Amino acid sequence: MSKTIDRTPTPPWPGEINDNHVAGFTRRSVLAGAAATAVITIGADTPAGAQPAESDRVIFAKLSAGLTGVAHAKLAPSADPIDVKEEYFRRVSDPKYAAAFTALLQLTRAANLQIPGGDTDGVIPQDKVDALASKIEERDDIKFLARSIVLMWYLGAWYEPEDLKKIAANPKAEAFPTIISPKAYTQGWLWRVAQAHPMGYSDMQFGYWTRPPAPPAEFIAVVKPQGN
Amino acid sequence: MADDDFDVVIVGSGFAGALIANELAKRGKKVAILEAGDGIPPNINDYMERFYKSSAKVPESPYTPPIFDEPARGSELPRSSDPRKMRAGRPTVLTVSAKDWANPDKSYLVHEQTRDGKKLMPFSSTYDRIAGGTSHWLGTCLRFVPNDFEMKSLYGLSEASFVDWPIGYEDLVEWYGKAEAELGVSADVEDQKYLGVHFPDDYQYPMPAIPESLTDRAIRKALKNLNASETAFLGMETAPTEIPVRNVPAARNSRPYKGRRACAGNTNCIPICPIQAKYDPTITLNEALNHKHVKLMRHTVAREIILGSDLRNVTEIKYTRYSTASNAIVTDTIKAKIFVIAGNPIETARLLLMSENDGLPFEVKTVANRSGMIGKYLMDHPYYVAWGQLPMNGEQVWPYRGPLITSGIGDLCDGRFRDSRAAFRVDIGNEGWNFVIASALDAADPHVTTIDFVNGMDRNLLKAKHAAAGIPGPAPTKALYGPALARTLNQNISRQFRVGFLVEQTPDASNRVTLSRENPDGLGLPRPKISYNLSPYTRRGIAAAHQFKDLLFKHMNATDFTRVADNDPSGFDEQINGKTVRLNFTGAGHIMGTFRMGTNGDNSVVDSYQRCHDHDNLYLVGSGTFPTGATANPTLTLAALALRTADRIAKRV
Repeated sequence: MSKTIDRTPTPPWPGEINDNHVAGFTRRSVLAGAAATAVITIGADTPAGAQPAESDRVIFAKLSAGLTGVAHAKLAPSADPIDVKEEYFRRVSDPKYAAAFTALLQLTRAANLQIPGGDTDGVIPQDKVDALASKIEERDDIKFLARSIVLMWYLGAWYEPEDLKKIAANPKAEAFPTIISPKAYTQGWLWRVAQAHPMGYSDMQFGYWTRPPAPPAEFIAVVKPQGN
Repeated sequence: MADDDFDVVIVGSGFAGALIANELAKRGKKVAILEAGDGIPPNINDYMERFYKSSAKVPESPYTPPIFDEPARGSELPRSSDPRKMRAGRPTVLTVSAKDWANPDKSYLVHEQTRDGKKLMPFSSTYDRIAGGTSHWLGTCLRFVPNDFEMKSLYGLSEASFVDWPIGYEDLVEWYGKAEAELGVSADVEDQKYLGVHFPDDYQYPMPAIPESLTDRAIRKALKNLNASETAFLGMETAPTEIPVRNVPAARNSRPYKGRRACAGNTNCIPICPIQAKYDPTITLNEALNHKHVKLMRHTVAREIILGSDLRNVTEIKYTRYSTASNAIVTDTIKAKIFVIAGNPIETARLLLMSENDGLPFEVKTVANRSGMIGKYLMDHPYYVAWGQLPMNGEQVWPYRGPLITSGIGDLCDGRFRDSRAAFRVDIGNEGWNFVIASALDAADPHVTTIDFVNGMDRNLLKAKHAAAGIPGPAPTKALYGPALARTLNQNISRQFRVGFLVEQTPDASNRVTLSRENPDGLGLPRPKISYNLSPYTRRGIAAAHQFKDLLFKHMNATDFTRVADNDPSGFDEQINGKTVRLNFTGAGHIMGTFRMGTNGDNSVVDSYQRCHDHDNLYLVGSGTFPTGATANPTLTLAALALRTADRIAKRV
């Protein structure tokens, strides 16, 4: 019988704390649970201080980077000729989500997410994400909108928050997605998270599939040049 | 060019029609091709846009008419997917679903529900009606193995439905080579020599083999050291202790060929290669249309084959042309010296059955039907799909990379076991769980796996099975965010794989296409009515495939996620080692039979050159002529037969 165990130590996942990444989320779930017990009233976040308020678009990009685990510089690069983020922002800005989206942006502002720079991989660390997520998960309308946003970035598809709520309660129910645009499909981050490419959209070359892919960080994080 | 000036009229512009048109064009013949659907677009950009935008990326999704789009505002045309209104209808994956297959208002194919008190099953293979026909194919170009042509002589004592082909492997060797050159096949001759498959001494495939994927490698390793007692159930002459994984010959470029690029591993052969590294019939069709004496008539539905007074020859074909901008139609006829019907087996059978002639001295008074066999012996390769996941602490195989399929198992396609159960061929998928037939109908993977972790669900049962095996992971209803989400998806998806089993189906007279006059299409023509089931012999083949899956997964240490949905209309129970096991299948898209070839007009419809026994100038081509279906994807064999037929026709006109 063939049984292969990969004994090479797995490098830390982008944005995860090294000591934590094997059985990590069990412990983090506990932490998140603890955080959730501290009641946070939506709308009562820290008022804007001396700093000029960041625009909703800027906050949306930070929120997206945090929830997806993809580096902000990848999701919303400063030079962004493809610019799906604008399409996505408009989708979520539909008046029918206004209450939940406003609250989600407020929570994100209050969380004061920082985009890691310097020598980091640019992915917002798990503990910061968990702190925000625990608040998001407190209210149904906010949490299902947040999940719709994650799926939008991952799959280029829009799942209605109401449909996600429906199938979460009844897995036999159906939730049909709408592909936001051809461009959105080709920019789906799930494929990069899986170290692959959207089916039918690849810039790789003949024979690449015979070799293991580049490390995950090459796909979803900021990779600094090696050496001097 | 006057309408009565054609040497040959071809109905259908798919593989067989395009190949024949091009061969005749090269020899200066005047050819008209009638295509029921749209013509060839100037480029594939619209196909790609439509594919990217489709919420269900089914084989039909890039092609026209669009299956998701509503008609333009103000248009008098019906929604293009309404089978009662379409002028050139087609079955689609969505309309043969558990929900819709039995409803003729949704499903283009009208399915009989019961036969002799037994519940029937859906025929779930689909086809397109468009210039180029089966452009959504995978590209697999397997030859039949020699014994596939002699099923009655070799195995007919135990399975009475089997017949022999009127020709054998030797008759086709030359034509297989020509078809491989035309389609541009990548493979290695030495690797393909098994079960009696042989090649001329100096033969080389046009291009070297496409290299294997990491999933292929994992499966090859798992099948290297087997115990003979574990493989005895296969019923081979000698129980194998190693089962080879071989490269699958494919019409995908492994280097630039005929002006097209090498495969870049877009993992999208079905439904469409974005760079046309995979051959499709529009390539040959375009070549044919470069000849000035070849004409493609799009939106032209053949509706009747009309015989001369001698009843031996066809004089003309009646057709209706429709407009895609309005409901306008024109009905006319077209004449030629020779007629070739190159539709798929269901549409060709339908056209023949619509071609009535009371003067014919046949029991069933329709063209070419002395044998009464037109529409009968409908076959597919019932496709049993199994999916699993490699150990979470073990190697990753990273699916969604490379062509959809690069390797398979062919050595189990023939053996003594064919006395008692159907043979199967194994496909190894490189697309993870994208093609798993029990997944929710609202989306395919990677959607389902992604939603499970994003939305705190477990529709793919990953969490339940991991918990049962003591593998740490999130609680079933826990939604993950951030790096934990990304890592969990990566770790799970990179270990997902699937295998598929193409099972030989017996040619049963009761599996047939007839006409549903009570359910006409948008032109008022009867739609195809299907009566379909699996014989006990075929079901036993699926049961053996299931056992092979168990053996393979055990040797891969894989967790098995294969399951049959409760409402699957293709589900059935089979006894395996004293236990009742629920099995199922889906269509492989390999539609065969319905106008079989044979030695005379009593036992078949056409001869080995695919000419009708009953009518001297009428040829029926395509996989509809296959008397038995073997386990190899039919395209290469139907292409070889088409080239052989084209050569014969060219010598006659």
